[in-house]
Amino acid sequence: MSVTLTQGAVEALFKGIEVNNPVLQLLNIRPIISQSGPPRFRLMMSDGLHSLSSLLLATQLNHLPEENLLVPHCVCVLKKTATNTMTDGRRVVIVIDMEILQSADETGGKIGNPTPYNADGKTSSPQKVSSSSSEPSSSPSAAAPGTSSHGRGFTKEAPMKTSPVKFSPSKFSPSKFSPSKFSPSKAASASPGSSTKVVPIAYLNPYVSKWTLRARVSNKSNIRTWSNSKGEGKLFSFEIVDESGEIKITAFNNEVDKFFSLVEQGKVYYISKATLKVANKQYSSLKNDYEMTLHAHSSIVPCDDSQDIPTVHCDFVPIAELENKDKDSIVDVIGVCLSAEDVSRITTKTSREVSKRALNLMDTTSKMVTVTLWGEEAEKFDGSGQPVVAIKGARLSDFGGISLSALFSSTVMVNPDIPAAFSLRAWYDQGGYAVDSQSLTEVRSSGSGITTNWKMLSDVKSEQLGHSEKADYFCCVATVLYTRKENCLYQGCPSADCKKKVIDQHNGLYRCEKCNREFPNFKYRLLLSANLGDFGDNQWVTCFQETAEVLLGHSAETLGQLRDTDEAAFDQVFQKANFTTHIFHNRVKLETYNDESRVKVTVLDVQPIDHRDYSRRLLSNIRKMAN
Amino acid sequence: MAGILDVPKPRINCSMLSQYLNKAVCFVGCVEKVHPTGKTFSVSDGEGKSATVELNEPLEEELSGIVEVIGMVSNRGAIMATTYNMLRDEKGIPFDMELYNEALKVIHDFPQHYPFEVAASG
Repeated sequence: MSVTLTQGAVEALFKGIEVNNPVLQLLNIRPIISQSGPPRFRLMMSDGLHSLSSLLLATQLNHLPEENLLVPHCVCVLKKTATNTMTDGRRVVIVIDMEILQSADETGGKIGNPTPYNADGKTSSPQKVSSSSSEPSSSPSAAAPGTSSHGRGFTKEAPMKTSPVKFSPSKFSPSKFSPSKFSPSKAASASPGSSTKVVPIAYLNPYVSKWTLRARVSNKSNIRTWSNSKGEGKLFSFEIVDESGEIKITAFNNEVDKFFSLVEQGKVYYISKATLKVANKQYSSLKNDYEMTLHAHSSIVPCDDSQDIPTVHCDFVPIAELENKDKDSIVDVIGVCLSAEDVSRITTKTSREVSKRALNLMDTTSKMVTVTLWGEEAEKFDGSGQPVVAIKGARLSDFGGISLSALFSSTVMVNPDIPAAFSLRAWYDQGGYAVDSQSLTEVRSSGSGITTNWKMLSDVKSEQLGHSEKADYFCCVATVLYTRKENCLYQGCPSADCKKKVIDQHNGLYRCEKCNREFPNFKYRLLLSANLGDFGDNQWVTCFQETAEVLLGHSAETLGQLRDTDEAAFDQVFQKANFTTHIFHNRVKLETYNDESRVKVTVLDVQPIDHRDYSRRLLSNIRKMAN
Repeated sequence: MAGILDVPKPRINCSMLSQYLNKAVCFVGCVEKVHPTGKTFSVSDGEGKSATVELNEPLEEELSGIVEVIGMVSNRGAIMATTYNMLRDEKGIPFDMELYNEALKVIHDFPQHYPFEVAASG
C-alpha cells in the first residue's frame, strides 16, 4: 500500500538531470489566475527528502486539481517533465504528464520531513509558496513562475526533446491557447542574457518571451476616442523603426495617459514588455506581420544613444513602377521636387475648407509623378531649390492616370538624412536635371481632369486629327487672332440645363421645342466662332457658353445687354480678346453635312498659360530633338 | 549708354563670363549682397555661382530679388553695369532662375537657331 517516494528526485529535477518517473508527494497546490488564458497551478512537491515549489502544472493537466484529484498529500508519479531556466538563473519544472498513484486520504499525511530545496541551499519557509501572489515577483524581468504562461508546447505531441519551454512574462498573453511552433533557436536565444538585452524588431513574435527594443519613433498619431456598444475608450498609436524593420504599437486607455506625452516622434526609446499579436493590416501599412499593444507593465525609457537607428524605414518604389501598382495601395516614394504649385484652399464635399498643394517628383527612372499634400503639410511645404522629397505611406490614386496623395498617416520628409536621398541628389545634380521627364500624372491645369495631348495647330492637318471614327482630343498653346462678334449670341431656353435656341413667337413668348414649352423670356447664350493661331498655323474653332465667357471676360447676359445698349463697348470686348494667349483643350472631329465634310474643332476648356510648365515642356522637346 | 544699346547683348551666366571679357552682355541674377558704398553688388545665377556688378553711381534704391543687368564684362570678370532693372514678381509667380538657366544653355548650344546678332544689327 505504501508508495515509496523517489528520494533525490527533487534535487535531480531541479538540476535538470534526467529522472525516470519519479514518485513525489504533492505538498501544496496553488492556482495562479491570469487575466487571459487558463489558470496555472503551481505545485510544491516532495520526495521525502526535499521539497520543491517551483513546479508548474501543464495546463492540459488542469483538470486534475479542478476535479479535486490532485490535492495536497496525494502521491503521484511524474511521467513527463521539462525544466526551463529563467533568465535570472532560476529553474522551473513543468509537469507535462503525471498520474495519481495514491490519493491524499490513502496517504494520510506528509511523508517524511522534507526541507525546501533551493539552488543556493538557503532554506525558505514553505509559506513562501503560498504567499507568493499572482503578481510577478520583485524582479519583473524574470519570468517568474507566478505569471501566466501561454501553455506553449504543452500539447500531447509536445517537444519531448528537452527543449526548454517558453514562458511569457507578460500577463496579457494571447488568450488563445495555441500550441506554438517554436524553433529551438528562438528558445536558445531567449535563455539567459542580461535583462536589458536589446533585440531587433524583426525578431519579435508573440512567442518570444523576453525582449527589449531600441528603436526610433517614426510616426505618432493623435489620440482617438471611440464610443460603441461595448463602451468607450481612447487610443493612440505610433510606429517604431530600427535597423531590422518596423512595427506598430498601440496604447489604450490608461496607457494613453501614461505614454502619450512621453513618446515623441523622432526620438529613440528602449521599449519592453508589450503584447505581440498578428497585425491588423486594415489599420497599418507597415511591413510586419505583428503589432504590439502596451499594457500596465510596459516600459518605455528614452535612449540617448541613437546612432545606428535609422531615422525612417522606407521601401521606396521607383516612380516608373508606380504604374504596376494597384490603385489605393500605400507606397513610399522619393524624388526630386521639380516644381511645386502654390498652396490653394479648396472646399470639400462636406463643406470643409482644406489647403492643398501639388508637387512634381522625379527620380532616376526619369518618370515624374504629381503628389498632393494636404492641410498643414501643404501650407508649410517649401519646394524652393528643388529639394529631395521622400514620402512614406502615400496613397496611389488613379486621378489623372497615376498620382499620389499624402494621407493623415503619411510622413513627408524634405531633404531627409538618408542614403537614398543623397544618391538621388547626386544623380540630379550631375545630369539628372537635364533628363526630360515624362509625367505619369497627366493633369497639368488646376484640376480640370482632362488628359493632355499637346499638339501644334499645324498637327491638326498634318496628322489628320478627327478623321477616325472617334473624335480626337488635343491641347495646344495658341493666340486668339479673331473673334466673330456677329451672331455670337442667340436666344436660349431659360430652363436650367436646356441650351436649345428658342423661337420668337412675336407675341412676347418664346417657344422651346425641346422642352415643349413657351416662355415669356429667354437667356442669352454664347456661341463664339474664333480663329486661333500659333507660330505655324491657324485654326477656326467654336467656343460654347463657358469657354466663350472665359475668352471674352464677360457673361452672355452682360454681352446681350451691351449689344443692345452700347455698341462701342460691345465691340471693345471683342477687340480686347484678340492676341490673348491661352491653353486650349479641344475636341476635333470630321463632320459631314450635306455631302460636305469639314473638320470641326470645339474648345472644351480654356486655361491660362503656366509659363514655367510651358518652358519646361519646350526645353524638354528641344533636348529631345537635339538627340 | 547709347552705344551699348545698339549692340547685341547675349544673355549669359557666370560660367560664360570668361568667354565674354570686354564684351557687352545681359546678365540676369538674384541680388546677394550690396556693398555699403552702394557702388557694387553681387548676384547669383541659376547655377548658384556669383558675379560682381559694378556701377558708375551708387545705388539710390533698395536692390533685392531678381535683377537684369546690361553692361560690359571687365578683364577681371566683373560686370560694369550701364543699366539695370529689377524684375518684379508678376501675379505672384516667382522668377524661375533654374529654368532661365536651362534656356540660356539652349540658346548657347544652338546659336544657329538663335541668331540674335543678326537681328540686332538688322
